[in-house]
Amino acid sequence: MSYVSVQHLQKNYAGTTVFSDINCEINKGEFVTLLGPSGCGKSTLLRCIAGLTPVGGGKILLDGVDIVPLSPQKRGIGMVFQSYALFPNMTVEQNVAFGLRMQKVNADDSHKRVSEVLKLVELNDFASRYPHQLSGGQCQRVALARSLVTRPRLLLLDEPLSALDARIRKHLREQIRQIQRELGLTTIFVTHDQEEALTMSDRIFLMNQGKIVQSGDAETLYTAPVDVFAAGFIGNYNLLDADDASKLLQRPINHRIAIRPEAIELSLDGELDAQIRSHSLLGNVIRYRIEARGVELVVDVLNRSAADLHPDGQRLALSIDPTALCEVA
Amino acid sequence: MTRGKWLAALCLVPFALFFIVFEIAPLVWVMINSLQSEEFGWGLANFSKIFSSKFYLQAIQYSLEISFWSSVFGIVIAVLGAYSLRRVDSKLRNFVNAFANMTSNFAGVPLAFAFIILLGFNGSITIMLKQSGIIQDFNLYSKTGLIILYTYFQIPLGVLLLYPAFDALREDWRESAALLGANGWQFWRHIGLPVLTPALLGTFVILLANALGAYATVYALTTGNFNVLPIRIAAMVSGDISLDPNLASALAVVLVALMTIVTVVHQLLLKRSYHVSR
Amino acid sequence: MSRAESGPAGLYHRVVVYLLFAILLLPLVGTLVYSIASSWSATILPSGFTFKWYLQLWSDPRFLHAFGQSLLVCVGALVLSVVLILPLLFVVHYHFPKLDALMNILILLPFAVPPVVSSVGLLQLYGSGPMAMVGTPWILIGCYFTVALPFMYRAITNNLQAINLRDLMDAAQLLGASTFQAAFLVVLPNLRKGLMVALLLSFSFLFGEFVFANILVGTRYETLQVYLNNMRNSSGHFTSALVISYFFFVLVLTWIANILNKDKSE
Repeated sequence: MSYVSVQHLQKNYAGTTVFSDINCEINKGEFVTLLGPSGCGKSTLLRCIAGLTPVGGGKILLDGVDIVPLSPQKRGIGMVFQSYALFPNMTVEQNVAFGLRMQKVNADDSHKRVSEVLKLVELNDFASRYPHQLSGGQCQRVALARSLVTRPRLLLLDEPLSALDARIRKHLREQIRQIQRELGLTTIFVTHDQEEALTMSDRIFLMNQGKIVQSGDAETLYTAPVDVFAAGFIGNYNLLDADDASKLLQRPINHRIAIRPEAIELSLDGELDAQIRSHSLLGNVIRYRIEARGVELVVDVLNRSAADLHPDGQRLALSIDPTALCEVA
Repeated sequence: MTRGKWLAALCLVPFALFFIVFEIAPLVWVMINSLQSEEFGWGLANFSKIFSSKFYLQAIQYSLEISFWSSVFGIVIAVLGAYSLRRVDSKLRNFVNAFANMTSNFAGVPLAFAFIILLGFNGSITIMLKQSGIIQDFNLYSKTGLIILYTYFQIPLGVLLLYPAFDALREDWRESAALLGANGWQFWRHIGLPVLTPALLGTFVILLANALGAYATVYALTTGNFNVLPIRIAAMVSGDISLDPNLASALAVVLVALMTIVTVVHQLLLKRSYHVSR
Repeated sequence: MSRAESGPAGLYHRVVVYLLFAILLLPLVGTLVYSIASSWSATILPSGFTFKWYLQLWSDPRFLHAFGQSLLVCVGALVLSVVLILPLLFVVHYHFPKLDALMNILILLPFAVPPVVSSVGLLQLYGSGPMAMVGTPWILIGCYFTVALPFMYRAITNNLQAINLRDLMDAAQLLGASTFQAAFLVVLPNLRKGLMVALLLSFSFLFGEFVFANILVGTRYETLQVYLNNMRNSSGHFTSALVISYFFFVLVLTWIANILNKDKSE
């Protein structure tokens, strides 16, 4: 039986339907990401699970028990907010100890557990600092520590890294994932950043306009998007309608296809019916815009050597791996 | 300085002139003349007279008591009011806000008269309360009556000042605290009130100063017959009997000193509480 | 954040707000009822209703005289304020921005120093001698200027900061305007709304001022508030009608200010 089970969840707000029938299952110890563009309902779903927003109908089962009628205080769920939500009048130690205080844990045990968890997030030297004395990344680690110390059954993270700069984000990503594995904590992570989703999750739920469009592990979502939206959201797919696909592959095709940019090979051998229009250097990848047989394509080539750098206007031959062609709805 | 700047500086002169004549000069006069006495020339004679007289000490005491209690009651009502005001729908909120603004214009003589109508010896509310047996007798013209009256005009000011202070309370603190197991009371006790404390203290100080210096309301209510500092001061410069502007100045200095002490205490208390980063 | 709450919490908040409203409304309502009651003594409710008190009030020449004198003094003080404060604000914000900090402290003075205290000095300094003003409306106009100063300074400062004075002036000057022209043709029109609101609110405040009016001029130049106090011995119904009339007048002004304010934030 799955550990978290959302069944026929429904939510309206101010006359509009946020979601009408959401269903998903999450197993114990799994790290699951809700991924989607702004306004797709992922944060609302998370807040419904946390009990911060009332639901219109449906059930949320946590370890077999419906938690919808429970107040947030009683759900045993930890949550990390995008804005950290650290209490400004308390030190790091007091912030982290707050949940234990509400559980009436005695002072000695509390102190021990707080030290343990601060060591886990590598902030044991900062125990007596105030939030306004910490950087964004440090604040977020304190927020993480604060939700972990109460040993919650489920951990929710609402775009916790969006407010941090890129370098810290990468570092914290790894740290969060590592801690989650160590503790075997069931975790739901919300983000609009596909790179985060792909690198961190066991499974991803891709959401759009209040519906779960596709769910699966990173590999599946990346290589086999089910529809136009999915293909457009994850990766940098070339989306071709049936006509363009027929022109490109020189055989009749009657559905839309998506091709990953790295699945197209460029070489100087063979029929030179493709021409480079422009390119941009993305560091370790060169992104070419080419026109081939009347169709515009984006092609990514690994920047291994000078041989991979072709000038604009260069004519090249294309070769596409047939297994990389993905039929999309 | 360029010619343009000289011209600009010249524009400041008329303002400075009026400000000095009507604001600075009287103040300076008061401060200097508090140290002047007809009998004893320069010195602290006025002050020793004040502090050795039961009458003047009573004035100080009454002023402090009325100001303190009206500020306490006023701020409690204002906190509850401002907090709830933020959480009702915007139509009701805007209406009550505007109304509170307008009633702050009611203070002074009109308010005193209105209270006489309601709570005077023959006032409607007095009669109602007497008939239902809640109180035996109520004297509006006593210290208690004045405290009630002062509390009344402190409320709109308190609401006005505290309303924006609740901006500092972020919603996600509440949610975070809830998930960590805190109910409403616990949130307020551990997080809400501590965060609001600087604003609460600041507002309290302003209310206190407002009450200490209030003249119109108490004058109108008691025709200048109640022993508080502002009445004493005014009586000594514009009454029919006992004109002593120097003593009045000394009393005025005492009044301003009281207000200053209150402000200084407030600043000290602020320093001791934590600092919220802006 | 300002979503109305429903459920028990929402009910509590609504009740509190209505209670607050009721508390603030009570004296007003009491006075209103008293002003239209034919007689009301030692009973909870009045015995009859009439408008005669209002008729008596508005046909009393002394009342009209006091009303007019209040108007004159308040308008005079506000005109003086505008003439003194606008150039001041412009000069401070454009030429000497460091002075703003000093100004913010200075305008605290009328707040921090109660009018009774100033009155002591004012009476002595200007009671006789070369600058004798006590008992005339001139001293009131000057004092009211200091009373209005904090409101007006703050309101217009906020306005100036919102319209970004420096950028506007620079743009105008690059297009060929002199400092003077830029100030008049560009900055001033943009201040109009904020100025109107500040003036209306200051006016309401000045109209209700009693301390200076009573101590410095008293009955020699009777303003409305002083008249009100002097009439305390006449019928309570009469004074109630007086209070309601005054309050209604101020209400209209604040209402207009509110509308203008909302207009501004469009």
